[in-house]
Amino acid sequence: MRALGLHPVEDTRRTFRALLSAMSRPGTVESVPAPADRAVVSTLVDHEMSLATDDDRLRETLASRGRLHTQPVERAAVVHATDHTGWDVRECARGTLSEPADGATVIYRVPTIVPEPDQNAATLTLTGPGVDGRRRLSIELPESELDALAAAQDPYPRGVDAIFACDARIAAVPRSATLEVA
Amino acid sequence: MTEDITEAGPAAVEDDRDGGTPVPTDSVSVALDTVQGDGLAGYNYAYLDEHTKREVRRAMLKAVAIPGHQVPYASRPMPLARGWGTGGIQASLSILGPDDRFKVIDQGADESVNAANIRRLAERTAAVETTTDSTAADVIQTRHRIPEEVLTDDQILVLQVPITDPLRKIDGSDAANRRRHAHANYGKMWVHLYENVVEYGEINIAAAYPVMVAGRYLMSPSPIPRWDTEKLDDADHLSILAAGREARIYAVPPHTDVDPLAFEDREFTVERFPDQACHACGSSDTFLVEVSETAGPEADDGTDDESGTDDAAFETRYACNDTSFCAKRRETPDLPKDHHLDRSGVDWGPATPDHGDGEPRDDLDSEAGASQRGDST
Repeated sequence: MRALGLHPVEDTRRTFRALLSAMSRPGTVESVPAPADRAVVSTLVDHEMSLATDDDRLRETLASRGRLHTQPVERAAVVHATDHTGWDVRECARGTLSEPADGATVIYRVPTIVPEPDQNAATLTLTGPGVDGRRRLSIELPESELDALAAAQDPYPRGVDAIFACDARIAAVPRSATLEVA
Repeated sequence: MTEDITEAGPAAVEDDRDGGTPVPTDSVSVALDTVQGDGLAGYNYAYLDEHTKREVRRAMLKAVAIPGHQVPYASRPMPLARGWGTGGIQASLSILGPDDRFKVIDQGADESVNAANIRRLAERTAAVETTTDSTAADVIQTRHRIPEEVLTDDQILVLQVPITDPLRKIDGSDAANRRRHAHANYGKMWVHLYENVVEYGEINIAAAYPVMVAGRYLMSPSPIPRWDTEKLDDADHLSILAAGREARIYAVPPHTDVDPLAFEDREFTVERFPDQACHACGSSDTFLVEVSETAGPEADDGTDDESGTDDAAFETRYACNDTSFCAKRRETPDLPKDHHLDRSGVDWGPATPDHGDGEPRDDLDSEAGASQRGDST
């Protein structure tokens, strides 16, 4: 992971703490070492966790550490996408009713994440566990992609858990969150 | 040694370890004599290897994403027996970083052997500061209690769990219970509670009271007393519940509904301590435990009691179970449980004494009438 500019112990620990905080408070924006999406993947993925990614550099680095186990998007435990086109989040694994944790973790690299409504970005309104009332988050993704994500988080507890990464920031939308796209 | 752990150690583990270097020696004790330092060289930061931490961390994130669902993970052997907090240790060590302050309690006490050893392990291997002050800790690992002082959104509570599934006492089959959770089919638990009411007149579960999390999963909150159960509801802090022996992790995120199971005409009640107060600090609004102690010399002098047995040398008293808060209350007797927050009147378990405006809380009295009896004196 040093090849990606990430310390294998210290940076993954900091990334995990940010992830834990982001997952338990959906829609909050947390700081992580840059580049955020690669930091998240290297925190979570090893040979026991299948990965689908369109990032060749990341794939090579994981393979060089013996930590790469690739699967197509439909079967991967972690899906990492630098580009939201060319695949469909609704086809990702959602786990089963008895083992919902087998549902995929989907990591989007996006150009912008801001906590407030932004004219260039789609705004999500989140409710559910971890949210006191409601929380808003703006992400530069087409509304259709966010609608697809909402569809992929159904029927609860089956679903996927989404992490959005931008530069050195992340936000998460776990499947427990109810999202409205506006 | 600290520098070795935080800088050289991880690098060595990740990049250079090849299974260790053989030491030519006649016996283990001779080899040990030659060891310099405190024996931490070669250990990864925070004791666990990175592969283990990834596994525990993945399980924790899924647990948070599906509140109340028990996520299986590959639990590792720890340097103490399973059942002594190994799940909690794996969770804590996967969370902790050098900037954190760590508190460990065992049944409310910071100084039990188990708590002291877990704290020392984290202190030595993860280079964390430790504290006994609940309000100063970033991560609190606990066995069977939630602190009396209100936890904030900067804090993570790690609860040790001996038995993960609340359905197990009703049906020993894990596969059948897994199916019940899959379909949110908790009828058998309701029957169990009903039978409890028939037999005892109230729901007679002392600890690990079953709760519904976010309206979906039945969950055991670990063997905390009923007193602490409501602290999980709409809390500001994140709770991670980790079982090492059963290899499962589950979680309650902040601001999540946690409802103790109860009937409309048999409400959830907490423990009652009528007319009792802590003998040390005088608190009547904390979770009290009975302590039998050898009576002091002045009590011994008056051994004119009827029995004349050795029992006369003991007396039963009540004491706060949360020792660090008890120590604070001894300094400041009326210290509220939310004294460290910028708002008052925080609803945190039973009978938070600071009512903000000084008015009695009628809403609380009517909702949890029985629970208020203990502190109304």
